[in-house]
Amino acid sequence: MTAPAPRLRLARFRDLTLVPVILLLLVVGAFLDPTFLTAGNLTNVLQQQAAISLLVLAEAMILIAGKFDLSLESTVGTAPAIAVMLIIPVSAGGFGLGLPGVLVIPLALLIGAAIGAFNGFLIIRFQLSAFIVTLAMLIIVHGFLQGPTEGKTLFQLPDSILYLGSAMWLGLPAAIWIAGALFAAGMFGLGYLRAGRSLYAIGGNSDAARAAGIRVDRVLYGVFILGGTLAALAGILETGRLGAIGNSMGVGWIFMVFAAAVIGGVSMDGGKGTILGALTGVLVIGLVQNILTLIGVSGFWQPVIYGGIILIALMISRIAGGKAQD
Amino acid sequence: MKLGPAVAVAALLTIITACGSDTSTGAEAGGGGAKVGIDHPRADSDFWNSYIKYVPQMAGELKVDLMPATNSQNDVTKLVSNVQALTGQGAKVIVMAPQDTGAVATTLQQLENKKIPVVTVDTRPDKGKVYMVVRADNRAYGTKACEFLGEKLGGKGKVVQLQGALSSINGRDRSEAFLECMKSKFPGITVFSEPTEWEGSKAASMLQTRLEQNPDIKGIYMHAGGVHLAPTLQVLKQKGLLVPPTDPKHVFVVSNDGIPQEFEAIRKGEIDATVSQPADLYAKYALFYAKAAAEGKTFQPGPTDHDSTIIQLPNGMEDQLPAPLVTKDNVDDKALWGNQVN
Repeated sequence: MTAPAPRLRLARFRDLTLVPVILLLLVVGAFLDPTFLTAGNLTNVLQQQAAISLLVLAEAMILIAGKFDLSLESTVGTAPAIAVMLIIPVSAGGFGLGLPGVLVIPLALLIGAAIGAFNGFLIIRFQLSAFIVTLAMLIIVHGFLQGPTEGKTLFQLPDSILYLGSAMWLGLPAAIWIAGALFAAGMFGLGYLRAGRSLYAIGGNSDAARAAGIRVDRVLYGVFILGGTLAALAGILETGRLGAIGNSMGVGWIFMVFAAAVIGGVSMDGGKGTILGALTGVLVIGLVQNILTLIGVSGFWQPVIYGGIILIALMISRIAGGKAQD
Repeated sequence: MKLGPAVAVAALLTIITACGSDTSTGAEAGGGGAKVGIDHPRADSDFWNSYIKYVPQMAGELKVDLMPATNSQNDVTKLVSNVQALTGQGAKVIVMAPQDTGAVATTLQQLENKKIPVVTVDTRPDKGKVYMVVRADNRAYGTKACEFLGEKLGGKGKVVQLQGALSSINGRDRSEAFLECMKSKFPGITVFSEPTEWEGSKAASMLQTRLEQNPDIKGIYMHAGGVHLAPTLQVLKQKGLLVPPTDPKHVFVVSNDGIPQEFEAIRKGEIDATVSQPADLYAKYALFYAKAAAEGKTFQPGPTDHDSTIIQLPNGMEDQLPAPLVTKDNVDDKALWGNQVN
């Protein structure tokens, strides 16, 4: 392991190129609607973004390691749904196995980890294109939600799976604490731990990383498994927030996840980007959605404005960062 | 390392999943009638799954010779190829539910050239000949929801409507009728329209944000109970607004669909009403008219024997089925389809 000892450098501030965008959004939002800058509204924004932020965290790590995972969005719905179906009775739409309710969260995380491991197996063992493998897995994993539920929404859920997404800890939704703690762990891990630093080496040049003694395959397996687990946790938080598991849960998220990661400075080509940057990307997306809802932009035109603001954020981040994006 | 087999398997899986022909078996019914081909629009919504379940059952009752159903998964290109496959297999009548009412025109033209009558369910194609459109009046849903909320609120205050996808005719009809009725009958009520794209996640976020901005919102119209019910209840619960109708803090909620979970919520006093979209009647009359088409029967505009009205369209006929408003008073009515499924 030859990574240089990390220390605080001025160059690290390029992680924060989106901070001007966030400040601008805060100012604009405050002018447009008096509710925007209240503690209640900003707490809501954080709560609404907690689940998707975990996907951004997972995707940022996978992208930094030079890989890709599109299937995360399907895991969001499928992992908690299958875990729930293992527990609830047949009359409520389950498999009727009668497993105890406390197992639902461990089971969901396990299913997410298994999906990640299977992705890793296909990509690492068989050297298949990560993009196409996970595209196929996106479809297949979503099929494993639609198949067993026969398209029905699961309404009767064990209380244990609703807890994390709806509880309040110390005056803030538990989901915010969980997402915050995991982002802090991610920043620490990728900044200071050997395994975390090795992601940059692998994403930059995996052959060189291997030559330098990094166990590339093992680290990549770890990243895919962690990604699947985080997606399952995102699904658990979302289930608690929504109170039911519908067939469209998580569908379409992956575009937002990539948008957040890339405007936050994570490179699609691997080796570059930080977890803090990805976090600022999520915050920008969340604030934009919130402002559009508050000022009541017509539904027919929201996509245009929303996409336009993402492009502008990307440009501001390019100007503030001063480096070509890739 | 041998990549060939793995690639082949992955490709095969993708094709199987993407192709999406649902080969659920149709009911074996004799009668020697003409074969009826049916395409289902999607498999991921509670309402349509109830409809799909009713189809083989009704086919048995009406003795319709139903072919194995296909499913176009909300994609008009799949609908087109499924219909070609069904006619290729000898279907004499086609039942379909095109969610894109414009793009289906060419297919209808081709079927007309082949003299294959078409019954459409739930949507009215913009162009192309149809034998009969079987649907409830979606504009009436929006109007009923508006009248209920308007009366409960005494003609003043603020309400939210959680819209469906604005690209769907039914979503637009509900939304426009609701807004028009509010404007003409209850001008004192402010309406916020939230474009949720039939997504629970967006519905929860938008409703939460709107309630933060306007804590005095007193009414909610959800365009689809299947996706909007649980998120709405969760948001209201978090805000401490899930209280009985007698409490002044109560927010009046009208839903749309009539699935069993909505009835449960009405019984508990969590929501106040829903418009029951008749999944059973959709299936029954789709097959009824398919059979009639095969037998060469014709229908005239006017009231029917099943509490509905047939109206003349430029490109065919439409049987407008009744969609009752369900409240605490009639929620236990056994005739409602939501009380017949589990």
